[in-house]
Amino acid sequence: MNWTFFGIFVTFLGIFPFVWPDPYILSVIGSAGIMIIAAISLNLLLGYTGQLSLGHAAFFGIGAYASALMSLGFDVDIGFGITWQVDPKPVWVAFATAIVVTGFFGWLVGKLAFKVRGAYFVVITISFAQVMRMISLNWTDLTEGPMGMISIPPFSLWIPGEGVVDLTSKAAIYWLVLAVGVLAYLLVAMLVNSRQGRAMIALRENETLATSVGIPVTYYLALAAVISAAIAGAAGGLYAHTVRIIDPDVFLFIYTVTMVIMVVAGGKGTLGGPVVGGLIFGLMPELLRGVVQPEVQWVIYGITMILILLFLPRGLVPAIYDFITWIRTPIAIPVRESRRALAAEAKS
Amino acid sequence: MNEILQHIVNAMVLGSTYALLGIGLTIIFGIMRVVNFAHGELYTLGAYVAYGMVALLKLDFFSSILFAALIGMLVGALIEYVFLRRKDLKNIDEVMLIMIGIMIVMQNLELMVWGGVAKIIPTPFSQDPISFGDVLISPTRLFVFSIAAILLFIFYLGIERTRFGLAMRATFQDQDAARIVGVNVKAIYTLTFALGSAMAAVAGALLAPVFVATPLMGDLASLKAFAIVILGGLGSLGGAAIGGFLLAFIEEFGASYISSAYRDAFGFLVIIIVMLFRPQGLFAAKERVG
Amino acid sequence: MAISKRFLTSLLFGTLAATPVWAADPIKIGVSQPLTGTVAASGNYVTNGARIAAAEINENGGLLGRQVELIIEDNKSNPREAVNAAEKLILSDKVPVIMGAWSSTYTLATMPKLEEYGVPMVVETSSSNKITKAGNPWIFRIAPTSAMEAQAFAKKLDSFDPPIKKVDFLSVNNDWGLGASQEFEKMFKERGIEIGRKETVAPSTVDLSAQLSALKDTGSDTLIMTSGVEQLTLGIRQAAEQQLPQRIVTTGGSFPEPLLESPGPKGYTSSHLLFFSPWTPESAVHPEIAGAFVDAWNEAGYSFPGLSEGFRGYDGIMTIAAAIEGAGSTESEAIRAALWNVQVQGVNGDISFFKDGPEGKESGQNEPNVYVVQLKDGEVSAQ
Repeated sequence: MNWTFFGIFVTFLGIFPFVWPDPYILSVIGSAGIMIIAAISLNLLLGYTGQLSLGHAAFFGIGAYASALMSLGFDVDIGFGITWQVDPKPVWVAFATAIVVTGFFGWLVGKLAFKVRGAYFVVITISFAQVMRMISLNWTDLTEGPMGMISIPPFSLWIPGEGVVDLTSKAAIYWLVLAVGVLAYLLVAMLVNSRQGRAMIALRENETLATSVGIPVTYYLALAAVISAAIAGAAGGLYAHTVRIIDPDVFLFIYTVTMVIMVVAGGKGTLGGPVVGGLIFGLMPELLRGVVQPEVQWVIYGITMILILLFLPRGLVPAIYDFITWIRTPIAIPVRESRRALAAEAKS
Repeated sequence: MNEILQHIVNAMVLGSTYALLGIGLTIIFGIMRVVNFAHGELYTLGAYVAYGMVALLKLDFFSSILFAALIGMLVGALIEYVFLRRKDLKNIDEVMLIMIGIMIVMQNLELMVWGGVAKIIPTPFSQDPISFGDVLISPTRLFVFSIAAILLFIFYLGIERTRFGLAMRATFQDQDAARIVGVNVKAIYTLTFALGSAMAAVAGALLAPVFVATPLMGDLASLKAFAIVILGGLGSLGGAAIGGFLLAFIEEFGASYISSAYRDAFGFLVIIIVMLFRPQGLFAAKERVG
Repeated sequence: MAISKRFLTSLLFGTLAATPVWAADPIKIGVSQPLTGTVAASGNYVTNGARIAAAEINENGGLLGRQVELIIEDNKSNPREAVNAAEKLILSDKVPVIMGAWSSTYTLATMPKLEEYGVPMVVETSSSNKITKAGNPWIFRIAPTSAMEAQAFAKKLDSFDPPIKKVDFLSVNNDWGLGASQEFEKMFKERGIEIGRKETVAPSTVDLSAQLSALKDTGSDTLIMTSGVEQLTLGIRQAAEQQLPQRIVTTGGSFPEPLLESPGPKGYTSSHLLFFSPWTPESAVHPEIAGAFVDAWNEAGYSFPGLSEGFRGYDGIMTIAAAIEGAGSTESEAIRAALWNVQVQGVNGDISFFKDGPEGKESGQNEPNVYVVQLKDGEVSAQ
């Protein structure tokens, strides 16, 4: 990956709030950023390991609920007269726990992938998200059901000179999301460029062949699933402590679909894909707001996705690379000359 | 005992429409290997067509169901022709994502046209329930069951007794072999998608007067259709029909005796459990799943 | 890629900077209502009522010499979206005051944002006690609390023949439904009426047969149902199908409109607690205002039964307008202070706020009127 470009981009994003401090713009980009982190995580599973997991909202939601519950504390009766009681924990602790918990669920889903593949795996992952939604909707003792969990505490940071500051301003949230996003991006980048990453890609390309050369399929599937889920859980946790209210609708299929559109349109299996896709589909609602109704917006997204899948199936980022390469390619040698050159080569 | 009978009756009514929904998806998945996320949207389309015909054009209920089937067939054929023809269907991922795109477009078009408020479809039947002893059934539900049962039977005859049915079954078993013996696989694909979509649309038109029509009803319908298909086995038509009834029974008895709140969740739990323990479904012959 | 990002940024900047500034720019009032989702019917009714109010104000010269503009955001029957909607209204549209958010759950979710940004909100429908007891000085509620509703209903108990001796509850399982069943239960117990069984249902459920069959053999004579229009309709229909012996009384002010066109079985009767009965406008406290509102509504072509909730939007906007006039400014703090002094003659009755909630951080609460109507064979009459 191109480090200079990355560095410039991150710096630009970092100083953006000073250039343009409008809290609304910052909150829009912040929300888009959280979805981008989720898209980056989905890309690892979908793009690099080739597993079409369409229940990714489940990991996002589990991360959100786990973090919220840990930070608010809870007290539930799990039958047989046993109560499970947890005191409220500091937000960073809750956040870390949520990531671990979600990673565990990711491992479970990864295990399931060994048993079923392709379309069957897809359906299971979707069902998983729906079951999670039903549980969060109905286990009201734990999750408050449709009323949602409100007043979730925000992140706080100790800043020299200021003491402990609650990260509630839009700019603070923006930087927090940016920080986690950069970390997630770097993590995935390092992973795919390592031995483990190459093994995952081998899995995606041709599983039977990969197994035959000795790559432990199950291990790498599990690894990809765990890391993917953990990052998605982090996105969920971020969401919980910045929006500070969550309800069972975070598990809705439509959020998975949004992540999928971002990854697919941007370019699955590329590092920049989910970022590009995320920025476009994360910011489009705001650009189109007031211009067209939300339903029309979604029709546009749907049509965009279909068009990209039909004509640019690898996504926008690869298409742009191809385009740039095409521009830079020197004009081809005329056929006669190339034949002569080949013939001359053959003789010698 | 009467309570149980009542539940059985309810489950049979629901199951008959579920069976239609499930068979529609089975033939699409079985023959074309397309994971059709838009199936639920055809269901919704059927419901809204019925609503439009009855409430706005003042047509009678019965012909509105026919219309729903026709429009479902047309839209299904259109989708197959425009979007799926050009794609090598082996690319399961991309096809799936295209179907998701179509689902999004259809759902939001419906939202735009009909608005977000739920619509009640007036039926010509009285609301007084008919009673068989202590067991009650409303005339509407009885009608729904009859029509669904008739359609299932017609479908069965069509698949088993006609040349088209033979061609479809052949393609279902082995595409390439079917092609070799002269089956026009491309035409079969279009027919399959059209037929499957028509069945979903009819299921929607039938169930809508029992409940309500909302633009988002397709989401749940799609997922239940998948549950039915998986229950019955992705390779088996008879299995899908039985799967439809089975799911209805699980929902009805589960909701009444285990937890009414989790009614809609049973379908998903079923999927997960079946996938874990018997991934080829309850009725299919062994098929490589993993 | 750098190009596309810069392009995007300048496009954003351009769009926002190009927001036209009219010569006498309109006064913006924010509205957060569920226009889609499980309670969309009610949200649309309320919004239509608000529109009529805004149109009436503008026809009569506007407010402080400026036109009134409603900025309407759909909160999608969801508390998280309600928060988003509030933030959009406050941060992007910069409205000084909001009306919303219909369901108690959405209102409760929005409340922290009101305090964070210092914007008052007139609550037109939500009935949970929690809203005015939370110590949020930016909340002004014109709708009754569930407790008020229960007490008002107590006065109408005599109109039921045979008298109510034992009740069951079927409530939507959110703050509103649960709060309502709690308050009504308290009221019934105070009067020696026995409580039977309590069932709950999720807001998006369409098949209530499980809950209804559980309620069938309880021996109660009355079933109190609390939910939105859609679920009340489904519930009543399915209860009739199952031949539930209880008479059904709905609370919360929603009316199952679809049952007018597709009535239940012959002779089937249900009763409904409303805060405005368009079928008996003469019984309103200010019949001229109620009558004028009904006329405007019919002229606009909205559905008649929607009046039973649409008036809330009307009364809400009229209250806000009175506050803006009283404050003589469009500053949020001034509007808030002025709300304490409003005295509005609304469709429901007289509107003014008394202090409710913890000392020093009270919210405003109004005391509205309650009406009970009966629905039979598609016809509505006073109970």
